[in-house]
Formats: sequence, structure tokens, C-alpha cells
Amino acid sequence: MSGTFPIPTGSLLALGAILFCIGLYGALTKRNLIIVLVSIELMLNAANINLVTFSRLGVAPNISGQVFALFTITVAAAEIAVGLALLLAIFRVRRTTEVQDLDVHKH
Amino acid sequence: MQFFLNAPMIGFYIISLCILGCAVMLLSFQRVIYMALAIGGVFIGCAAIYILLGADFVGAAQLLIYAGAITILIMFAIMLTNHEAADPPHKWTPRNILSAVGAVLLGAVLLLVIRSTTWPPAVDADVNGGNSNPVAVGLALFQNYTVPFELVSLLLIVGMVGAVILARERKEDEDE
Amino acid sequence: MVEYAWLVPLLPLVAYVFLLVLGRRAPEGIVAGVSVVLTFIAFLVSALVFRSVGQNPDLTGPYVFHWLTVGSKSLTVGFEVTHLNALMLVVVSLVSTLVLLFSKGYMHGDDRFPVFYQYLNLFVFSMLALVISPNLLQLYIFWEMVGLCSYLLVGFWYFKPEAALAAKKSFIVTRIGDVGLFVGIILLFLASGSFDYSTIFTAAAAGKLSLGWISGSGLVTLAAILIFVGAVGKSAQFPLHVWLPDAMEGPTPVSALIHAATMVAAGVYLVARCYPLFQLSPAALSTVAWIGGITALLAALIALTQRDIKRVIAYSTISQLGYMMMALGVGAYAYGVFHLMTHAFFKALLFLAAGSVIHAVDTQDLFEMGGLYRKMKLTAWTFLAGALALAGIVPFAGFWSKDDILAAALESGHTVLYAFGLIAAFCTAFYIFRVYFLTFTGEPRDPERYEHAHEGSWVMTLPLVVLAVLATIGGFFNTPWSGYGLERYLFADSPQGSIGVTTPENVGLMALSVVVGLLGIGLAALMYGRRRRIEPEKLARGASFLYQLSYRKFYLDEIYYFVVVATGKAIAAVVDFVDRYIIDGIVRLVGWVVGLVGTGLRYTQTGQVQAYTAVAAFGVLILVAWAMWSIGGVL
Repeated sequence: MSGTFPIPTGSLLALGAILFCIGLYGALTKRNLIIVLVSIELMLNAANINLVTFSRLGVAPNISGQVFALFTITVAAAEIAVGLALLLAIFRVRRTTEVQDLDVHKH
Repeated sequence: MQFFLNAPMIGFYIISLCILGCAVMLLSFQRVIYMALAIGGVFIGCAAIYILLGADFVGAAQLLIYAGAITILIMFAIMLTNHEAADPPHKWTPRNILSAVGAVLLGAVLLLVIRSTTWPPAVDADVNGGNSNPVAVGLALFQNYTVPFELVSLLLIVGMVGAVILARERKEDEDE
Repeated sequence: MVEYAWLVPLLPLVAYVFLLVLGRRAPEGIVAGVSVVLTFIAFLVSALVFRSVGQNPDLTGPYVFHWLTVGSKSLTVGFEVTHLNALMLVVVSLVSTLVLLFSKGYMHGDDRFPVFYQYLNLFVFSMLALVISPNLLQLYIFWEMVGLCSYLLVGFWYFKPEAALAAKKSFIVTRIGDVGLFVGIILLFLASGSFDYSTIFTAAAAGKLSLGWISGSGLVTLAAILIFVGAVGKSAQFPLHVWLPDAMEGPTPVSALIHAATMVAAGVYLVARCYPLFQLSPAALSTVAWIGGITALLAALIALTQRDIKRVIAYSTISQLGYMMMALGVGAYAYGVFHLMTHAFFKALLFLAAGSVIHAVDTQDLFEMGGLYRKMKLTAWTFLAGALALAGIVPFAGFWSKDDILAAALESGHTVLYAFGLIAAFCTAFYIFRVYFLTFTGEPRDPERYEHAHEGSWVMTLPLVVLAVLATIGGFFNTPWSGYGLERYLFADSPQGSIGVTTPENVGLMALSVVVGLLGIGLAALMYGRRRRIEPEKLARGASFLYQLSYRKFYLDEIYYFVVVATGKAIAAVVDFVDRYIIDGIVRLVGWVVGLVGTGLRYTQTGQVQAYTAVAAFGVLILVAWAMWSIGGVL
């Protein structure tokens, strides 16, 4: 297993960057709270792609990158669980999942 | 044209296209449930990228947790709430424009950074230390990262309990 | 007995604490009884101290113990008995006892009767402790305490606005003098390293007082004048005399005790106590003499026309204190102290008699009284004794002391001061008999008040009688017939055999004084007596300017108002303007701008999480772009 790795680092990182920006756009514009959460997951995945890329192709290739990605996945799982639970609780009270309707922070 | 000369490269481009396509679909669908399906595509594509990069275990975990558990959880949440919900047709409202400009500019900056950085030669390094990838990951987790691993397990417990408490119907409250 | 002198101030303190514990609802009899008995014991103790000091001069001197060490200086507290302060102890405790007894009748029925006695006892304690202090620091402490008691007692009827104002005025004006005294004490401490009288005087006499920036003799003069400034404030000398007439808003026993017999005499006592210092500085002595002389004349002139019985006596007090200062200033130490003593008796008598009158008719305006002799014979007779003593008629107490002062002034070559004193003596005789005639003779001007008038009970008349006797015979302590007992007594512990100057009896001068006094009385009788020959109103109109000058107290209050208060107000107005419109303006501008910005920013607070996130995202974008740009080579 030696020799030049076939995929250039830059391409992988570019994929991550584009994915991150798409996720950001979704998180900023989507009206449904669930989709906002999903967009955030998208951004987390973009970060994960970077982590795994650097684990293989960085200055000092190391398994730690993959371990870190695993931790991220775990945290994301916990986050989505709590986030959806919150969403259900809000829905039960407000009968809506529209982000725009949740503006009790105003004033 | 050198890029297309090897199979992994071709695979990478196809997978990338799938991921980005799914992501764009996610943004352009109007029915919420379709969006949830599109995100599943993104997750699966990411898992493919991981495997392509030799991170077999992460890829498998990605499939199980994201593509499996999380996508299903999201679908459940959609069904439990307003499953008929749909975003209105996309309009170029000021906020949308601003968000788009922000996202595009950020992407441009990042791509410029990536482009102008001189990356080290992409050597096909052996990160598994001679073992198979899952063994290597397991050794790293239980040798070097034991404490974070345990902390993460605690986090999961807390998250689970919190989710249960938050999502629970408060029957006793309603009775009173 | 001398070593028990500390009992003298302690007994009123015990009374004070006892009354404090009894509280505000204590019965009047117990309150007054305890106070009078304890103060009377203090008087007996001081009389014994006085006797043993007189018999054995070796017993005098400080009894001190170490208090604390400040740096390399050691401070002491304790008490000291000298011939001077043994005499003061007797006078103060005697007058205090009588006034406390008198107050029982005068203050009867007042809501805060026990509080009044608390204050009085605290005052008596402070005054006695002031007298017995062995060093200047301790003196200053009690000096301020008597000032505080004076404030409390002048403002005792604080619900009267005039009383509250007068209390404030007396406190602030005397404070001006106190600053001088304080600076003087500190100067002496810096120069000699001690607060003790004896140490300071010894060093001063040996010419060892010096500081880097001032010569030895200059320092003595400066310190003496600063101490005198304190005395000017306390003894209401010109130009700080304005507080004393206003202080008459307090209850009359307070005026008798504090503003006639004791506290105001503390200034004179202080100068007398520091006499060794003053003697070293001719400049300081002549300052004292001139201030005293001017005060004596000025106050006597003002007293001629006042309508308020207590104010007349108050100006008389200022005038007499001026005599004492003049005596000290011309070198007649013994006569100043002598006059201090006799004045304490006859002025307390006059005030208490006036209090008795006020108590009977419930007014202080002379022109609402009249004919009271028929109702209050005893008060009238005792007042007459005090008036004769004040006017300096043979053989009453005031004659001997005042005549000695005038003779000493002439003897020492201060002819102008002698003339001042003589004119003042004429005025004194006139104004006090004006009061007497207006109050006790003639027809009642206010029949309704006259009907209610009556003599007070024995607690009020007994002090009057005792004081009247003292005012009559008090002068004989220092006459040839007693072998100049007071002089011998005062000079007993002086190595030179005398302090200051004494003058032999001069029959011609005596006769002149008496004639002047009789002339004053005669003029008063012509104007206000039963067969009036001169209409006072016509005279007032004829000499309208002079009358107004006297009646308006030489416009000193107004002048002070314009010079001090108006200037202060003008400065304050400028400061107020700056503060209100410039400083506040800036502050308000800042507040207004912030408010405006806040109002604008309020519209950005939509409550939309995504809007906030967008802002955060833009922030991240800017930060990343900036970081990349500053690294260089990327953008």
C-alpha cells in the first residue's frame, strides 16, 4: 500500500467546503425546523469529510482523524435526538414547526 | 485529463456528484418528507467517500448511525408533527439573497484557500499500523482515547434521558 | 483632695449615663433630682479641691498616664489641677448646679424634659473635663464636645425653624474658630513634640520652639494667634460674634449656663491657660487686647436698641467677654480671670431672672412687658442686683472686676482701649437699666400677659437668690479688705510671684467709672423710667441712622451674608450651571445617543433564530477572510 494516492487532497476538501456552504444556506433559509436540523447535519458531515481526509492525506497521517470523526458522529446523534425531542415538545405546545413562528425571543 | 485515468478518481467524482446533487435536491424540494429522503442520499454518499479513503469503520458507522438511525428518526419526527408541511416555492426574498451571498462568499474564500495552499504530496500512507481498519480504530479508542470515549458514552446517556424527558407527554400535568 | 479632682467631671457623666438608661419617659422629679444632687456633689468636691490647692500650692500639677504612642511621640491623658482651673471648676459646677435646679421649673411639662437634662449633664461633664484637661489634645476633644452640646441645646426646640437655623449657625461659626485652634495645636505639637501645656510652655520660654520655615518668635506669635482664633469663635468675639445672639433661640437655662457663664468663657479660659505663650509675644497680646476692646464697645452699642430681652443680655455677654479678652491682652491676667468669675455669677443671674420673666409672661419682647415688679418682686430685686453688678456700681461684683480692667488698660498705656471700655461701660449701664425699667416698672403694656404673670416655684427662685448674693459680694474676693485674695491665690504657683500686671487701687478712676455707670442708669431712667423726660421714639427718629445702625447690629449679618454667603452662592450657581448644563448635558447626550442606537437596533431583534445565525455566519466569513488576507498569499 504505497505510492501516490489517487485522489488529490484539494478535491476532497473542496467537496467538504461546498457541502458545508449548501448546509449553511439551508440552515439559514429553510422554514421547517426539521430541515434546519438536517442542514446542520449536512454541515457536520462536511466537517467529517475533512477529518477523514486529513486522517489519510494530511501532513502527518494518523488514525486519530477517524477516531475524531467517530466522536463527531456520536455527538451529532445525541444532538439530533435532543433536538427532535425539543421539536416535539414545541410542536405539542405551539402546533407548528415553522422557524419563523418561534420568535418569543423578540423584544 | 490525468484525473480520470484511475478508477478511484472516477468513483470519487461520481460519488461527489451524487452527494452534491442530493444536497441541492434537499434545498429545492418542497415536501418535507422528500427532503428527509434526500438527506439520506447525502449520508450514504459520505459513507462511500469514507470507504474510498480507507476509513472502513467510519464509513460503516456513518451508514448505521446517519443513514440508518438518524434518517429514520427524522422521518418519525416529520410524521409525528406536521407531515403535510411544505415549504412555499422558493422566492428571492432579501434574506434568501443575503444568505446565498454569504454562503457563496464563504465557499469562495474556502475554495481559494484550498486552491492556494500547497498540499503535501498525497502519499498513500498506512495509517492502520498493519492491522485492519476496525482493529486500528478500536485500538486507538481503547488505548489513546479511553477517557473521551467514556465521556461520550456518558453524553449519549444524558442525551437519551434528556430526549425521553423532553418528548414525554405530561399526562399528570394535563390531568391536574 | 487634689488627686480626686477627676471625680468632678465624672459625676455629671454618671448622671448623663443614668438618665440615658432611664430613657425618655422618666419622671421629671427623679431626672432633675439625680442631676442636681450629682452636680452638687461635684461642686462640693471642686470646692474641696479649690481649698486644698489654695492651702498647698505644691499639690498642683498634672496627673497623667500613658495613652498611646504615635511614631516616636507618646500621648498622655489624665487631669491637671492648677490654681486657675480649680477656680474654674468651682465656678462651673456651682453655676451648673443652680441652672440644673432652675431648669426643673423652667422646663416643667416639656415633652423632652429628660432629654434636656441628658444634654445638660453631658455639657457639664464636657465643660468640667475641658477645664481639667492636662494637654491641648484632650482640651480640643472636650472643646468640640461642648460645641456639640451647645448645638444640641440651642436646637433643642428643633421644630422651630429659627432654633434649627440658630443651632446650625452657632455650630458652623464656632467651627471656623476651631479650625484655627486646631492648626495652632498641631503647630505647637510639631514644634515641641508634645501636647502638654507644661512641656510647650517650658520649650517656648526657653526659645526652643522652632520649625524649619518660621523663626522661633514668629512661631510663638502665630500659634498664640491661632489659639486666640479658636477663643474668638468660642467666646463670640468680633468678628465671629454673630452666632451668640442667635443662640438665644435655645431654652433660657441653656443661655444662662452655656452662653453666659461657662462655655463662652472657655475661650477666655483657653487664653488664660495659654498665657505663658501669649506673654512671649507682644503682637499676640495686643491682638487679643484690640479684638477684646472692639468687641466690648461694638456689642454694647448693639445692645442699646434690641427689643428682645435675651438678645440684650446676649450682646451684653459678648461685650463683657470682650472686657475679659481686653484684660488679658493688656497683661492684666488676674483681672481677666476675676471678671470671668464675677461675670459668670451676675450674667447667669440676669439670664435666669430673664428666664423667670419669660416663663411668667411667655414673650421675649421688652415692649410687651412692663410693671412686673408688682407681680414678681423677688425676680425684680435679684435682677436689679445683677444689673447693678453689670453696670459696675459700688459695691457689686462687676464694679471691682471691671474697674480693675479699666485701670489696668490705662496703666499699660492703652488709652484708646480705656476710652472704648469707658464708653462701653456707659452703654452697659444704659441698656441693662433700659431692660430693667421696661420689664419691671411702668404700666403693663400687655394686660393679658400681665394677668398671667406670677413668681416661679422655689426651684426657680432659690438659684436667683444664691446668684444674687454672689453677684453682690463676689467682688470682695479681690479687694484690699480680703488682701487681694484672688490675686494671691492665682499667683501662688508662679515663680515670679505674679502673672501679668496688677494695678494699685486708683480712687479717681473708680469714681469716674461709677459716675459713668450712674450716668447711664440716669439716662435710662429719663427715657424709660416712671417720669420720662426724653421720648425714646423721638430720639430714635432724630438719630435715625445711628439707631438703625445699632438696631441692625451694624449690618454685620448682612455684610457677612453678602461677602460670604452671596459669594458662595454665586460660585455655587456657576458650578451648578456647569454641572447641570455641561456635565449633565454630556451625560444626557451619551444617554440619548445610546437610547437612539438602542431604538434603532430594536428593529434588528426579530426573534428569528435564522436571522441571528446569518449574522453570525457573516461574522465568521469576515473573520476567515481577514485571517486569510493577513496571512497573505491566499486572497
